[in-house]
Amino acid sequence: MSLRFLQCALLVTVAFPFSLGAQNIAVVAEHLYTMDAGPQGGPGMVLIRDGKIEETRQGANMQPPDGFQVIHGAYVTPGLVDADTTAGVAGAYNIPADQDQDEATDPNTADVSVRDSLNPEDKLYQFVNTYGVTTLQVTPGPANPIAGRAGIFKSAGPLSPFRTADQLIVRLNSGMVFNLGESPKQTYGASHKAPVTRMKTAEMIRDALLQATQYQDKWDKWKREGSDLSKQPTIEAKSAALADVVTGKTPAIFNVYRADDIDTAIRIGTEFHLKYMLASVTEGYLIRDKIKQAGVPCLVGAVMQPVESMETANATYENAALLQQAGIPVAIMTGYVAYVPKSRVLLFEAAIAAANGLGLEGALRAITISPAKILGIDDRVGSLSKGKDADVVVFDGDPFEYTSHVEQVMVQGTVTYRKP
Amino acid sequence: MRKKMLLWGGLLAFSVSLAAAQSAHDENVLVLQGARILPITAPPIAQGVLVIKGGKIVAVGEAGKVQIPAGARIQDATGKVIMPGIVDSHSHIGIDGNPTVSDSQDANEGSGPIQPGLRALDAIDPADPNIRMATSGGITTANIMPGSGNVMGGQTAYVKLRGSTMEQMLIPGTLGGMKMANGTNPKGYGSRGQAPMTRMEEAALARGIYVKAQQYKDKWDAYAKAVAAKDKNAKEPDHDLGLDAVVQVLDGKRVVHNHTHRADDVMTVLRLADEFHYRVVVHHGTESCEVADELAKRHIGVSFTMIDSPGGKPETINFSISCPARLEKAGVKVAFNTDDPITNSRLLLRSAALGVRGGMSEDAAMKGLTIYPAEMLDLQSRVGSLEVGKDADFIVLSGAPLSVYTHVIETWIEGEKVFDRNNPADLRYATGGFDVVGRYPQQTGGAQ
Repeated sequence: MSLRFLQCALLVTVAFPFSLGAQNIAVVAEHLYTMDAGPQGGPGMVLIRDGKIEETRQGANMQPPDGFQVIHGAYVTPGLVDADTTAGVAGAYNIPADQDQDEATDPNTADVSVRDSLNPEDKLYQFVNTYGVTTLQVTPGPANPIAGRAGIFKSAGPLSPFRTADQLIVRLNSGMVFNLGESPKQTYGASHKAPVTRMKTAEMIRDALLQATQYQDKWDKWKREGSDLSKQPTIEAKSAALADVVTGKTPAIFNVYRADDIDTAIRIGTEFHLKYMLASVTEGYLIRDKIKQAGVPCLVGAVMQPVESMETANATYENAALLQQAGIPVAIMTGYVAYVPKSRVLLFEAAIAAANGLGLEGALRAITISPAKILGIDDRVGSLSKGKDADVVVFDGDPFEYTSHVEQVMVQGTVTYRKP
Repeated sequence: MRKKMLLWGGLLAFSVSLAAAQSAHDENVLVLQGARILPITAPPIAQGVLVIKGGKIVAVGEAGKVQIPAGARIQDATGKVIMPGIVDSHSHIGIDGNPTVSDSQDANEGSGPIQPGLRALDAIDPADPNIRMATSGGITTANIMPGSGNVMGGQTAYVKLRGSTMEQMLIPGTLGGMKMANGTNPKGYGSRGQAPMTRMEEAALARGIYVKAQQYKDKWDAYAKAVAAKDKNAKEPDHDLGLDAVVQVLDGKRVVHNHTHRADDVMTVLRLADEFHYRVVVHHGTESCEVADELAKRHIGVSFTMIDSPGGKPETINFSISCPARLEKAGVKVAFNTDDPITNSRLLLRSAALGVRGGMSEDAAMKGLTIYPAEMLDLQSRVGSLEVGKDADFIVLSGAPLSVYTHVIETWIEGEKVFDRNNPADLRYATGGFDVVGRYPQQTGGAQ
């Protein structure tokens, strides 16, 4: 047993040669972006105690308190939040052995959860941490009209040689993913199975939501009438999962590209009074008034992804800026990638948005506090504010400049990456 | 020696600009002045002047030291940066078209792994929007290639990104290269129970076609000899479209552009090139830095594809942005390619910038966009730098070439403007949305 312990200790040392453990750290920044309501980009200092933000101070020439280890940085930001990604479920090798994002055997897989596919040891899952991502909403892939339940996880730590998905959970069942447009059609239509058309995709989703509503009614009625075990309704896993969607407990995430598909998502969202958001939203800029009117937040998809389909042909680098300017809450996401390169880099995608209308601060907002608010996790992450997780990224220059570097990444006060 | 060359260059520029000055009111002369000019093969010029006539560069130099011909059209470029048009040594624009539907995809002839008779030029659509998108990213010259699904994919095309026919696009006097591939992609045949199923077979197929071409060449050489000796019995051998092209490889007239990722696959590329004495450029070269010395020793360059993350297939799992830096340190010339659609042609400057992020010198990164890829395509006497006598292919940038905040403002090919960011229709090729210009929302601050 002691030998085994030693082996574990050795593994930890090898895997995390720079681990500091959660201790008291003062991060002194030339340009501090707290992403809270205060001023941004001036000099300042972040104090970290026991993995949480204890305090942030604005001003130059800060003297860190005694007992705090000091880290200096040119630019310091909160840990980045990727609002929608398949990292960890769609593995880096892209071979059947590591692709666990699409259960393409049934157009309705509402009952599956990414928790059961997530592999924190996957190369890409660890890779995104080196580019500053500390929190991710991991989603099922694009194949199914009803794809299953997303979850929000940390990208790294607590230190253990046996990292498991459960150690990284921020929130389970953070969303139910619905895919509209080309992908479900291509998945099933080629073998003459439903859905072959967009009509059918919409019908299948509406039908499942209707059944879930009725299922919920049945259970409510049973509870109202005394919860007699002999009369208990049959448990239906899919309807049960979707019942949480129709009751607003689990938000719906509509993954959509073309403007008319965005419109369909809004139509379904309105019909079932869903709490929902739009993901990818490639042609969102063409229908932004409608999105604004519906009051739906947008997780804006990667724009550097190759145009692999008709529905992304009108992608523009300005999408995030145009939606933002319309007054729509905007987060930038990386989503699913089918081929090389197997993952987009959130920082890089935001950089393109920064250079195309969103600016440094706007783009930073779209990968920190904005996704945190949209996903309802801003009590824990998204800004360097008192009491939040000490998820911090240190850069040696403007975070979005191609030639800058991520110098350190911290998750809950533990350094998980340091530039070699 | 370098000093001497600079001196000669200066003298030439001086005499040419004098000649230009003598022809009064020459409206065919265009002068861009005030910009920071990056000639690439010479040090940067803080306040530069570029003089163009007849599609060629007739003078380039410091303000005040280059005579401005009377009557020349003058364009003020103060505050801007001018550099040579970017040369993309590996692209599929026009042959893998936009939008991505099966009808527009013509890069991979999946009917057999050895296809030397194919010509990319017969499948390139000059009207493909991807070509205009590429010019919005500053690319002026491209090597458009068949895909990597075949061991020998066909003849590539060296083109300028202008014109509405292939004849207008093709660079006169160029044959193009020969596309080859090894590793994962050609093994695609294996899933259908066809060869190649293994890397061994890929190499065997490649050797097979070169051996065949060598015999074919010997036959023709013997025939030529017999004709020269006035041998009446000399019998003309049959022509073979494919073998004619492979013989051009053996003769050194056609460079092999070899898709390859893993270090052992790179070594297979070198082994074949050594055996058949042909000229080769390593393309992608994900793990080429692991065998950098082998490349340096043979003076073989790498046309590198800068992807954002590792993986997508096993042979790219060890991708690192520091690979170009390691190649540079070993003395290997590195060009950056788009492999469009793998990376987008609007963002090739970005690939070089990421090379710098990975440890490369800025000088090598800039050469990797211009003169090095030009050399890999045997086009260094025409393009790849701003020098007197070269084609007037250049781009005007809003700022430092490797900054994310910089935009390409104008792209010029042989003295003609092919992209202008201030033109609303052109702008949508840079941002995206060119197909919906009429519905595109009023711009509120994206352009700089």
